[in-house]
Amino acid sequence: MTERKVYSKLGEALAKGEFILTGELEPEKTCDLSHTIQEAKDMAPYVIAANVTDSPLGIVTINSMAASHIIQKEANLEVIWQLTVRDVNKLGIAGMIMGGHALGLRNILSLTGDHTALGDMSESKPVFDLDSATLVKLVREMVDTGAINGHEIKHPPTLHVGAAANPNAEPMEAEILKIGRKAEAGCEFIQTQVVYDLDRTIEFLTEIKKYKVPLLLGIFPMKSYGMAKGFDTFVPGVSVPKNILAKWKGIKTDYSTDKKMQKEAYDQANYEFFKPFITELRKKNLLAGIHCMAVHYPRIFPKLMEIIKS
Amino acid sequence: MVVITTKKPTEEVIEALENYKIKKLAIVSCGTCAALCQTGGTEGAKEWNDLLIEKGYEITAVIVSEDVCDNRVMKKDLRKIDDEIQESDAILTASCGLGAQSIVKVLENKYPEKPVLVSNNTKFIGMTERIGRFYMRCRACGDCYLNYTGGICPIATCAKGLMNGPCGGMVDGKCEVGNYEKDCGWVLIFNRLKAIDRLDLFSRLRDARDWSESGHQQEVVFR
Repeated sequence: MTERKVYSKLGEALAKGEFILTGELEPEKTCDLSHTIQEAKDMAPYVIAANVTDSPLGIVTINSMAASHIIQKEANLEVIWQLTVRDVNKLGIAGMIMGGHALGLRNILSLTGDHTALGDMSESKPVFDLDSATLVKLVREMVDTGAINGHEIKHPPTLHVGAAANPNAEPMEAEILKIGRKAEAGCEFIQTQVVYDLDRTIEFLTEIKKYKVPLLLGIFPMKSYGMAKGFDTFVPGVSVPKNILAKWKGIKTDYSTDKKMQKEAYDQANYEFFKPFITELRKKNLLAGIHCMAVHYPRIFPKLMEIIKS
Repeated sequence: MVVITTKKPTEEVIEALENYKIKKLAIVSCGTCAALCQTGGTEGAKEWNDLLIEKGYEITAVIVSEDVCDNRVMKKDLRKIDDEIQESDAILTASCGLGAQSIVKVLENKYPEKPVLVSNNTKFIGMTERIGRFYMRCRACGDCYLNYTGGICPIATCAKGLMNGPCGGMVDGKCEVGNYEKDCGWVLIFNRLKAIDRLDLFSRLRDARDWSESGHQQEVVFR
């Protein structure tokens, strides 16, 4: 990020090399964002910015650009606008990038997006005119040159653009080389898929360090045993370690009569699992920050801050 | 190369015939691709002939043509059953969409009032493993990338047609579309390029596809 211009708090923190925390907000199928805004307000004291998802799993929700704008304005929390290439062609996306800037958005996370076939409007035409790397390239072209295809943009957008990486991907080498392409395209930060396997994460992050892109590690603190089990069962390619599942199950049983104690026990268990995990990776100088994907679990943020500050 | 077809449900074909108030019709069946797909050929033609007679339709003629999609062949073959076409309310085509449109083209001047209906759905250009196993491996996109992707097409084998995969929907080499049963196209490309020691090609950042030439009513005309 040396000599790079700074357009957002996220961009500034990354440029300064501050260790940061980002959160995640998942607007639903609704035109009323009050719940998400409240969640954003709850996490605002702890995170530098929060991702706003773009119809994950291909299940249609309120548009992520509109939601990002409203959340940023109402909750006074900077957002990382997740933009997938699934639903709009290159021409449309270029227009959205300008529109997003005009609405005050300053960070984009470039994503492919889950296929339309997976979601609740599977009859929709899957677009994928761009991919996650060529979207990064398009943003950088518009921001850095102030033009598209050589045509001047009167007031060009100024946004940072990041991309995703999956340390769980197998074959890992294919994923690593793909990250190389995203780096070449001009990606300014990376947020990873959720990780639980420390050895694998170290191997992956060590390999992609050569691309010199600041990396925010994706973690998913588990609010309850049900959440942990569900995550393990339903999120493809991510397995929650057996000992974690057993521990969470134990908390569910041991504190079944005292919900307050149970909550504290879950929070403490998350702290105990993630503290050594994150500390080890920081010690190896592999992280620029943490991206916490646990939605609807804002009370975990003070604990995460403790880990980050320790 | 075969244009892969599947049969439409019988009720859908009957519904179309009823919609056009057809009583008498000629059947033109494709003896090449559709025959291979068992949606045309001699057997397909006989099947429709028997079924429609049973349902009370009058069949004026049944022909199996080797190249329904070739206007020249079609012109010649249809001339042989000109009387029968004249007395038919419509032509039912057991071929691909090209075959049906070829007949429309050939008959457009002499019999502009005759509907040409189809009994098949045209699926894709297919690679044949054996009869009954056909795979889409080319989308005829007009700008072939195979020299840089190890001879495996990302447009046809990646569910998203991405130029820079694999995407986050890949788990253990399988694709999120279809419940992780099919191979990820980009992992196939990765494995192939690795085998031929050309991972440098895999590492390459590819531009988005240029659709500016993909135009309307494409044609190849060189004479």
